[in-house]
Amino acid sequence: MNATTDITAIRAAFETDLQAIATEQDLQHVRDRYLGRKQGTVATLMRSLANAPAETKPALGKSANALKRDIEQALSKKGTALRTSMKSTDSLDVTLPGRELAFGRRHPLTIIREQIETIFETMGFETLQGPQVEDDYHNFEALNMPADHPARDMQDTFYLDQSIPGTGDPALPATLLRTHTSGMQIRYMETHTPPVRIIAPGLVYRRDTPDLTHSPMFMQVEGLVVDQGITMADLKGTLVEFLQAFFDTETKVTFRPSFFPYTEPSAEVFISCVFCSGNGCSVCKTTGWLEILGCGMVHPAVFEAVGYDPELYTGWAFGIGIDRVALLKYRVEDIRLFYDNDLRLLEQFPH
Amino acid sequence: MRVLVSWLRELVEVPVSIEELAEALTLRGFEVGAVEPQPPNEDGSLDAVLDLEITTNRPDCLSVIGIAREVSTLYKTDLRPPSIFPLPDTDSTPLLTVTVDDPHLCPRYVGAVASVSIGPSPPWIARRLEASDIRPVNNVVDITNYVMLETGHPMHAFDFDKLSKPEIRVCSGNIGGTIKTIDGVERRLQPEMLTIADPEQACAVAGIMGGADSEVTETTQTVMLEAAYFNPTNIRRTGKSLGLTTDASYRFERGADVAAPPTAMNRALELLITTKAGTPQGPIVDHFPSPPTPIVVRLRHNRIGYLLGQQIDETFIAPTLNRLGFKVRLEPDSDTTAWQVQVPSFRVDVKREEDLIEEIARHHGYDRLPTTFPALTRPPSLPAPWRARDGLLRRLLTGCGFSEAITYAFIERASAQSVSEDSENIVALQNPLSEKASVLRPSLIPGLLDSLIHNRRRERQDIRLFEIGSRFRRNDGESQALAIAMTGSATSKHWSSPDRKSDFFDIVGVVTRLCEGFGVQIALEQTRVGHLVPGQTASISLLATHENRTPIGEIGQLCPEFATRRGLTGSDPVFVAELDLRPLSVDKFDRLQANPVPRYPSMTRDLSVEVDNSLPAADVRGTILASAGSTLVEVKEIDLYQGEEIATGAVSLSYRLTFRAPDRTLTDAEVQSSIDAVLRALAEIHRAKQR
Ligand SMILES: [Zn+2]
Repeated sequence: MNATTDITAIRAAFETDLQAIATEQDLQHVRDRYLGRKQGTVATLMRSLANAPAETKPALGKSANALKRDIEQALSKKGTALRTSMKSTDSLDVTLPGRELAFGRRHPLTIIREQIETIFETMGFETLQGPQVEDDYHNFEALNMPADHPARDMQDTFYLDQSIPGTGDPALPATLLRTHTSGMQIRYMETHTPPVRIIAPGLVYRRDTPDLTHSPMFMQVEGLVVDQGITMADLKGTLVEFLQAFFDTETKVTFRPSFFPYTEPSAEVFISCVFCSGNGCSVCKTTGWLEILGCGMVHPAVFEAVGYDPELYTGWAFGIGIDRVALLKYRVEDIRLFYDNDLRLLEQFPH
Repeated sequence: MRVLVSWLRELVEVPVSIEELAEALTLRGFEVGAVEPQPPNEDGSLDAVLDLEITTNRPDCLSVIGIAREVSTLYKTDLRPPSIFPLPDTDSTPLLTVTVDDPHLCPRYVGAVASVSIGPSPPWIARRLEASDIRPVNNVVDITNYVMLETGHPMHAFDFDKLSKPEIRVCSGNIGGTIKTIDGVERRLQPEMLTIADPEQACAVAGIMGGADSEVTETTQTVMLEAAYFNPTNIRRTGKSLGLTTDASYRFERGADVAAPPTAMNRALELLITTKAGTPQGPIVDHFPSPPTPIVVRLRHNRIGYLLGQQIDETFIAPTLNRLGFKVRLEPDSDTTAWQVQVPSFRVDVKREEDLIEEIARHHGYDRLPTTFPALTRPPSLPAPWRARDGLLRRLLTGCGFSEAITYAFIERASAQSVSEDSENIVALQNPLSEKASVLRPSLIPGLLDSLIHNRRRERQDIRLFEIGSRFRRNDGESQALAIAMTGSATSKHWSSPDRKSDFFDIVGVVTRLCEGFGVQIALEQTRVGHLVPGQTASISLLATHENRTPIGEIGQLCPEFATRRGLTGSDPVFVAELDLRPLSVDKFDRLQANPVPRYPSMTRDLSVEVDNSLPAADVRGTILASAGSTLVEVKEIDLYQGEEIATGAVSLSYRLTFRAPDRTLTDAEVQSSIDAVLRALAEIHRAKQR
């Protein structure tokens, strides 16, 4: 057998086969026939060279390798040509939309609530959940608002027509819809010794006629810190940190004296208007400031109600309306939209 | 509280512009809602009305003098209260007597008689009243209002000649008695309402409004002026039950100054005399049987720093409190600096040390306090389990295409009844805003349905909503639940294929996946629930073992009639499910141990059986699982067929069974013997025939 003529014959046969390739499949067959690792023509040729006379071996090896390289190059070239000339019947209109995988959205108030929870949890706060139907003691009395206290007018209350079982002491059945989440702070302090560092988010109820900024049900977060040596400066520091984390690091924060029965001193917190950056607009009534939350140092009467020594422990509390924050953050114009659950609104929010 | 700046300037020096004053008062806790410019004063100085928001704890600032006191503290300028007017001497006996039945309800009553000549007020009084939003009536009534605005203490004028006798009695309202108040309304009196009466009838509802019969009119010749102190709680209750708030009751219920009545009376008589509106007759009567002891509060210097986080200079404390009207005495022999602070009777809000510290903080300026971060003295707790549960629910449901709704806790009674087994269990509100929101929801379904309807009415056909929230029942109180609702297409519309409407098994699929997400299996059983379509309703139980089932909710198609009654349009059925969330928890994942990944191949066999149509498929599945032996790893229902070749009343069910062993490759014979065992059991238990 003459290896040289073999190489020539293979080259000729390959040329014929190459011309006949019309599809990717043909290409694969030809590749297998010539370049297959075991049965391929080139592989067989290489093996046969082992028996060739020593003096012709180097030249033959060289020709065989050239043959292999030529076949590889020719097939590769053919493959590229095939793919570029593929007929349009085999291709898709890739600009058509894909099948939609339905996905829903969390409610914007949930998104805001979770953001607030996350910020406070990174500051070491524990998040609590409690009942929405409350007893008078936990909603008012323990918070330094005895019956007939004028401050009760600040929070017009929905009462149940008959009491229902509460969550704790059977002697304290639930008689009203909580006007704030402060009742949970009382429950927590009743069962835990200081230090306390908690937030209590949840729905609360006030008998307000609905309008652009009022809803008889809305969402609130309250926070409470109690320990030895907790100061009003700590209150300021923590709330400034929170407000700047939540809104914008450039947000300016100011504290003004106010009144709440359960805090003394009490403060109202204002942030620089998010609409006009503090330059004055219709939303902030040209003041450049927006009222954002109420807070203060826990009133000693509250500590006395839960059995904490007000001489030893000090603390602060705050309350912020999630709806109000959501209105400001998302520029929603009517609080009632949050409870319509209109998908055209909900679907604008992230997953 | 509206304060005319020129009036304020009369009582205190204001060394700044009106705008600066407004800003400074706002920062001291008196938010100025508006500055309303007024015509300039005669001397050419600018004037304005400050519309101040006064918090409920500061009734003393419902007066020009109260604001003046704050201004005096702010700018360290002197307060110029009207001095006590020297009334003409009189040695005659008083023209009236005062009896107080319950001194707790009326600790002090000051009365005086004056002859008057009724006419309009001088312009400067009328102007000040108008600026304060009080309509001038006549010179005598205007003086009582003027004194109230200036001193904060309400007064009342009676037509003295209309009293049956000059004997004033402060007493409870007679049962069944009525009084026509000066607003022309006939009001029914109750025993708990305090009245000012002559021997025959009630002449005024104490501290709230006078009676029409003794009203001062154009023909009045003699008046009895009243300056009294009434119990705030009683005034508040009476005002609430009469549905009446007046300038007087607003001040009394927040707490008036028990020391003020004589001063107010003196000022009123002074104005009567100086404006030539009248002349006092006889001496003033001051019924004040037991004056209270002034409150003294100890204020420690270091406590101020302890609470505020900033040490306030000692020299700032006493002068500030003094200007605010407190009497301050440094404790002589104390180890630490401390003061004995006597609280003026007009500061009804100050009772303890913290109240004084607030005064210091207010006038020091909140914005000057530093910002610090409280040290953690104990490691924070891990998040409560409900956080992970609700988070997982939201992830699973949004992943299934459901968006979150939040609906009102109060709903219409009719809706509540539609979803309540027992209407006795519905919790109603005593004071709802409307009939549409009169009871607490016993279920989340009605609210969710209303949201679905809201969207359907806005041309939305495919709707999937869920809500996580509280529901309320009389027997077991408040509990957490999840509701889901879906209607419209089961799949998103796509150009490649026609879409399919949702059906019962779509919502079953959602609930199944949800529970799988919590690592629990569920079992459904045909049941009947009022608001769901019979035959397409199931109870859902959590399946701990085959026997141990915890019922957690219901699932099915909403009765179209119920949905239509709530306003649903369109014909697509609505599917709902509601689950009690209490049994769901992610705790079990804490103890999760992974199974080894299978090393040997599995084998599948399909199998069709014909069974009675009334037999629940779950029973067939149960028998297969129980009889196939341990190598059966999965059963899937792959077909359901009724019709030709199947007997009437029967159904053909097809299953795909997957077998696998952990330690070997199964042989055909082994699998076949399992199949034979399954078929035998199905035949024996359900009289099933293989097809
Ligand atoms: Zn603005």
